[in-house]
Amino acid sequence: MIEKLKFFLSVTGNNLWQFRTRNIFSVTIICLSFLTVGIFMSLANNLRATARELSRNMTVAFYLDKGLSAAAVEAVRQEIGQPGFVESVRVVTPDEALERFRASFPELADIVSGLETNPFPTSIEMRVNARASASQEVVELVDAMKARQGITDVLFNQDWVEKMQGFSRLAGAVGAFLGGILILTSFFIISNVVKLNVFARKNEIEILRFVGGTNLFIRIPFWLEGITLGLLGSLLSLGLLFVVINLFPVYLSASLGALQELLRFRYPDLTQSIALLCGGAATGFIGSATSVSKFLKV
Amino acid sequence: MIELHHIWKQYQKPYWALSDVTLQINDGDFYFITGPSGSGKTTLLKTIFREILPTEGQILVNGVNILKIRDNRIYTLRRTMGIVFQDFRLMFHRTVFENVAVPLQVIGVGRKEIRRRVFNTLQKVNLHQKMWELPGRLSYGEQQRVAIARAVINDPEIILADEPTGNLDPELAFEIITLFKEINRQGATVIIGSHDRELIRHFGDNILFLQKGKIVGKEAH
Repeated sequence: MIEKLKFFLSVTGNNLWQFRTRNIFSVTIICLSFLTVGIFMSLANNLRATARELSRNMTVAFYLDKGLSAAAVEAVRQEIGQPGFVESVRVVTPDEALERFRASFPELADIVSGLETNPFPTSIEMRVNARASASQEVVELVDAMKARQGITDVLFNQDWVEKMQGFSRLAGAVGAFLGGILILTSFFIISNVVKLNVFARKNEIEILRFVGGTNLFIRIPFWLEGITLGLLGSLLSLGLLFVVINLFPVYLSASLGALQELLRFRYPDLTQSIALLCGGAATGFIGSATSVSKFLKV
Repeated sequence: MIELHHIWKQYQKPYWALSDVTLQINDGDFYFITGPSGSGKTTLLKTIFREILPTEGQILVNGVNILKIRDNRIYTLRRTMGIVFQDFRLMFHRTVFENVAVPLQVIGVGRKEIRRRVFNTLQKVNLHQKMWELPGRLSYGEQQRVAIARAVINDPEIILADEPTGNLDPELAFEIITLFKEINRQGATVIIGSHDRELIRHFGDNILFLQKGKIVGKEAH
């Protein structure tokens, strides 16, 4: 068994070297295909992480009627704090709101200084846990509270979270679509490269048949060749992806302004990296197996 | 023992490559199949190692009807045979050693055993000193000896050779058939397709004459 394995590996190695030009070409195509998938995957990773970050910090602010008594404010606070997804509820007094405004917008501080009365109402800030962010139950609570007496307005940054999640899904979909097309191209290229190799080694295949080689014995080196090409291509793409991720901020992101946070790349995690490598190996194997079963009649 | 019963083979109508060929070759025979080009020599040899199927008839090798072997089991038949071609069919990007070792690698023989057997076999064909050469650097006669070494390394019961001397000058041809004769003496059945009358006259124990696919004569000395 070990002897046969050694034989297969040596045949595969010889063949890869013998037809190195066309093999380098197919590795390059596989690499570019998986690099495209990888780039969009990293982009989606970043958008997903941004959405998660936004969700974590998601605050819903309920602005209360100015005439509401302290007891009524407490009643609203308790009502808001009831659902399980609520992480914290905090009452923000008008004075605190004014302080925050001054701190956040120092250039507008003069405007509020001239006012005789504090224009800010009492509000209640609600934080929800990350799992429930932008979920339907939060939306339902917000809608219910909007209709409640004593609440004049609700500020809810759900839209941003949803947008981030939408962008992340879009980046994933574009990556899957473009990557899918390119992987399909790789598949056909591998298939054709293996087909050429099968034709180039017709004599050798015939010899193996005449000396009693089984179908499996003859096919295994071709399969290994496809798997190696796919694996090399995806490994190379992973390496290039790390280079792109490192170089991108240096050369491009400065010119993106505010968008740079969104268009940042995040390294693929271990599962994603393994998936890329397995994808490459699978593309190579399927490409060569298709070709071998079609053109190698043994 | 190889038995051919009423073998007919047609590639294209209305011509018959083989017409009602019935033949029995006993174990240890040294057999020449001869006839002009297109007489059916190659077709006959190819039916014996099941490279092609006859249109009609039955072929028994050691009592087994080889036409009933499933396609994916043909290797079991081929492992009992050694096949030699006029054009040598060598792998020119592999060394002499690697070419001769292939039949052993196919059946999973260990590396040490492969080295030992390849060396011994190459010694028999007097090529052990060129074990690590590429076949392209050898003469035609030497290349054919590599092909013969590959055919006999598994100690097959049957050796089939299709015009093994077709590309060689008379002296080398003589040398190659002498080699086959030696292999035959060691017990293998040897069947050679050839149209070289001089060689056949000199070496032929059993001769089968074919013409337009029909047996037109047999000689046994």
